[in-house]
Amino acid sequence: MTAVSVKGLRKAFGPVHALDDVSFEVEPGQVFALLGPNGAGKTTAIEILEGFTSRDAGTVQVLGIDPGERDQQRWLRTRLGIVLQELAVEPFFTVRQVLDRNAGFYPSPRPVDEVIELVGLDEKADAKIKTLSGGQQRRLDVGLGIVGNPELLFLDEPTTGLDPAARRTTWDLIRTLSVEGTTVLLSSHYMDEVEALAQNVAVLARGRIVATGPPSSLGGRDHGRVTIRFTLPDDVTPAELPVIPSTLDGATVGIATDDEVAVLARVLNWALEDGVELHGLSVTRTTLEDIYLDLTRTAADEPGSNVQ
Amino acid sequence: MSDRTTAEVAKSRRLNAVSLVAHMVRYEQLSFWVNRIGAAFTVGFSVVFLVLLGASAGNSRISYLGNIKLVDYYVPGFVAYGVMAASFTTLAVSLVVRRETGLLKRLCLSPLPTWALIIAIFINTTIVAVVQVLLLLIIGRFGYGVHLPTSPAAFVVVLLIGIASFAAMGVAMSTVIPNQEAAGPVTSIVFFVLLFLSGLWFPLKAHSGLATFSNYFPVRHFILAVSAPFEFQDGVSPWAWHDLLIVAIWGAGAMLIALRRFRWSPRRS
Repeated sequence: MTAVSVKGLRKAFGPVHALDDVSFEVEPGQVFALLGPNGAGKTTAIEILEGFTSRDAGTVQVLGIDPGERDQQRWLRTRLGIVLQELAVEPFFTVRQVLDRNAGFYPSPRPVDEVIELVGLDEKADAKIKTLSGGQQRRLDVGLGIVGNPELLFLDEPTTGLDPAARRTTWDLIRTLSVEGTTVLLSSHYMDEVEALAQNVAVLARGRIVATGPPSSLGGRDHGRVTIRFTLPDDVTPAELPVIPSTLDGATVGIATDDEVAVLARVLNWALEDGVELHGLSVTRTTLEDIYLDLTRTAADEPGSNVQ
Repeated sequence: MSDRTTAEVAKSRRLNAVSLVAHMVRYEQLSFWVNRIGAAFTVGFSVVFLVLLGASAGNSRISYLGNIKLVDYYVPGFVAYGVMAASFTTLAVSLVVRRETGLLKRLCLSPLPTWALIIAIFINTTIVAVVQVLLLLIIGRFGYGVHLPTSPAAFVVVLLIGIASFAAMGVAMSTVIPNQEAAGPVTSIVFFVLLFLSGLWFPLKAHSGLATFSNYFPVRHFILAVSAPFEFQDGVSPWAWHDLLIVAIWGAGAMLIALRRFRWSPRRS
């Protein structure tokens, strides 16, 4: 049985199509990432899976249960861990108190001391939550997500706003949980995060899935794509180039190719023959970030795409 | 599973429900009392009012109210105030704050059933209200010689109907307040204007214009309903059914608004 199965999911808020025919599957034990820029629909998708938001169309199964069905919701939620994007702090509780309280909501919770240790808050266990740093509050949030011993953990942008060290700590925690067998569905707009953690990713842009697969194969990356970049002088237009540029940013040309030697040879021959200077010439293997920007830009530029 | 009878399963479910609510009440109480300034303000306000007003004007008599002592009017008046402050004001403000800071959304997404949360909040409110009522009765009795309610049964019924109705009004109020910053001021203004018009500080003559006006609202009726079980005036029934009914109608109306408008999370901008 798949942990999460989404088919043809649609959701609109007024004229805005937050999700438009979204489908993906998450296998048990996997770390799965929804990758996309702000406003792509990641949070809406996750909140539908959590049963917090209703859907307009499509089928959704979470641990074999439709989260939209009210009489199944509570039971489903005893098996889920949910970490929301927004921080919300119980101002007057200590770390241990709020974990103790939430542990009481679940049939077989994880021991609170174990949770405190896992999220690295041993020294802050009896501190008031409002005295914690942003990173510590975020870790407490993850702690609240796992205190119920969930089979499936939702993490909505778990590292947004964290400093690099705190991000690494959170990554290690997610890896630990994954090794223990927890299925993780996380959303992120950081490419490196997805690359570091996820076995599978779905890229979401303007409410549509624009690519799916393991991060390493995304957007044809495993075919060894390379980007050639340079800036043209003022008196030369991109139309004069012997090859068609993939991206144009003012006079800066980007050419994505699988066959960099041949393309580079044509460009260099043309430049030498015509005496054109290519400023800042660089040849780089495409990063996930390039693919991501490329994928999300294509979706945004598409005519007839969603109302903003 | 097979050797457990249906009755046993039902019993264990009931036990789970009770312990779940008890668990939640414990943390609601903790959250209330740990916030010392908030707790002192909620509980202490009515006590301070009673002590100061009783000391300054308590012995004067109200000619148009059966010539009873002013402090005899103030004890039930501030008992009513305390109940309304605990249920209406405190609940309205805390629900807005919890909704706007995302705490309600978290509770909604936890496995805690909504009914358990509602019962826990109601019990929590009742405990806070009862603590205030006991303090006020003790101060009235030993500080100013005001006797305890002569009809305890009527007194308890009035308190329970009052807590339930004003709690429903508190929830309804929270649904019309758009943000955290507005919660305290808006609720306090509505509350204090109604208290003033309803004659909490200055008793109203029965058929004055102000009394007629404030009779459309629940606050004056509740003050009168709380006074009745003390039986200060001879021949007046401890059961103020008419006043209680109006309070309950307001409560039921508020409940309908609350059910229709309640939200777990801030409105999407």
